[in-house]
Amino acid sequence: MNAQVLQLLISVGGIAVMVALCWAIFGHATSPLPDADELAGKLARDIPGFRAGKVGLSRDARSALAEDLRDGSVYLALVLGDGVVTRKLSRGLGVARHGEHLKLRFKDFTLNSADLDLSDAESWEIKLKGLAA
Amino acid sequence: MKPFDPVTLAVPMFIVLVIAEMLFVRATGRGRFEVRDTATSLLMGFGSTIIGALFAFVFVGFARMIQPYALFHIGWSIPAVVICFLLDDLRYYWWHRASHRVRWLWADHVNHHSSQHYNLSTALRQPWFGVLALPGLLFLAPLVLIGFPLEMIAFVHGLNLVYQFWIHTEAIDRFPRWFEAVMNTPSHHRVHHAINACYLDANYAGVLIIWDRMFGTFVPETREDPPRYGIVSQIASFNPLRVATHGWVSLASDLAKSKSSKEFVLYLLAPPGWSPDGSRETSDSIKARWAEFRAAQSPAE
Repeated sequence: MNAQVLQLLISVGGIAVMVALCWAIFGHATSPLPDADELAGKLARDIPGFRAGKVGLSRDARSALAEDLRDGSVYLALVLGDGVVTRKLSRGLGVARHGEHLKLRFKDFTLNSADLDLSDAESWEIKLKGLAA
Repeated sequence: MKPFDPVTLAVPMFIVLVIAEMLFVRATGRGRFEVRDTATSLLMGFGSTIIGALFAFVFVGFARMIQPYALFHIGWSIPAVVICFLLDDLRYYWWHRASHRVRWLWADHVNHHSSQHYNLSTALRQPWFGVLALPGLLFLAPLVLIGFPLEMIAFVHGLNLVYQFWIHTEAIDRFPRWFEAVMNTPSHHRVHHAINACYLDANYAGVLIIWDRMFGTFVPETREDPPRYGIVSQIASFNPLRVATHGWVSLASDLAKSKSSKEFVLYLLAPPGWSPDGSRETSDSIKARWAEFRAAQSPAE
């Protein structure tokens, strides 16, 4: 067995051990989004000048919409593992609603769509369709 | 003298240290791990090694092509290795700075920054398609043209990469001031990986932080502003294929949309976030907005 094959085997074995150990030590549960106030605080930290308006947290606490009072723009926040991914929603956005279920589609290579169950889905739909136009 | 590859030899040490850091984080709470993020980082490192080896001929071929024009023919000696190491570290600083300021290079380097975590596994989250970042080759040229042997350049660069592994951690707070003044440390590199507006585009150093101090890009980590990691528009996937290609897909999409050769060139060479109508954000515009916001919050004394 030459050195390169040995190195590959050590690497593959090492990856398997490290991932298994990480799972055993830290588990694999995702963290839900914080409540509306905390989420607004997080967005304010990430987006200089952000002033939270209306915040709609999905029932499963895995996604949310938040309005920025400065310019009326809307941000989507999604759970990814124990982190949060945010996107400013703008033109090119696809919006569809079925009752309280809102489906958003994006032209984004790593984020194609998002599903939200919101108590005021209809008002969000109107707002988002205004942005998308 | 026959050189060895420091990175190859360091692989077992990488594995042991990642495991040790996991246990340390579990015991102390200083740091964060997420299993899918860790798996992605490790697979990115693995893929980078394989694909890097397959395309190494491009870098070697370029170096051999320009080698006949070298000013000197420097042999192996300890002083030569030390000087080559220092110059390679300076070269790394400028390559790294360009990789954050030139979209073509960022399309590749963005992978390394795409984790929202900062632990030793993040160090291994390396890009797969460096061969496409062609302007990066230019940064290799000076050392070859000075006349350092290619094996020596590869050797010192390997040492540089091995050094950079251990600084990807939240487990270590600060070192004594003299060390923090000269060397790149976990504290300095946390700033580099942070998305806080005040930390953007800072601390590009590989081994010696003196380059950032010399060229005006040094920003110290402060207790008031704990770093938050990743990229300004966080990637929404743990799929290594998507992570490895998202920067390139995004660049290709913009290039396809360009309406003139000027736009095409600017999409390639302007800072990440540049757009013809200014509708997107660059690190400069984010920092300017942050400074404006801070100034508005704290009236002049």
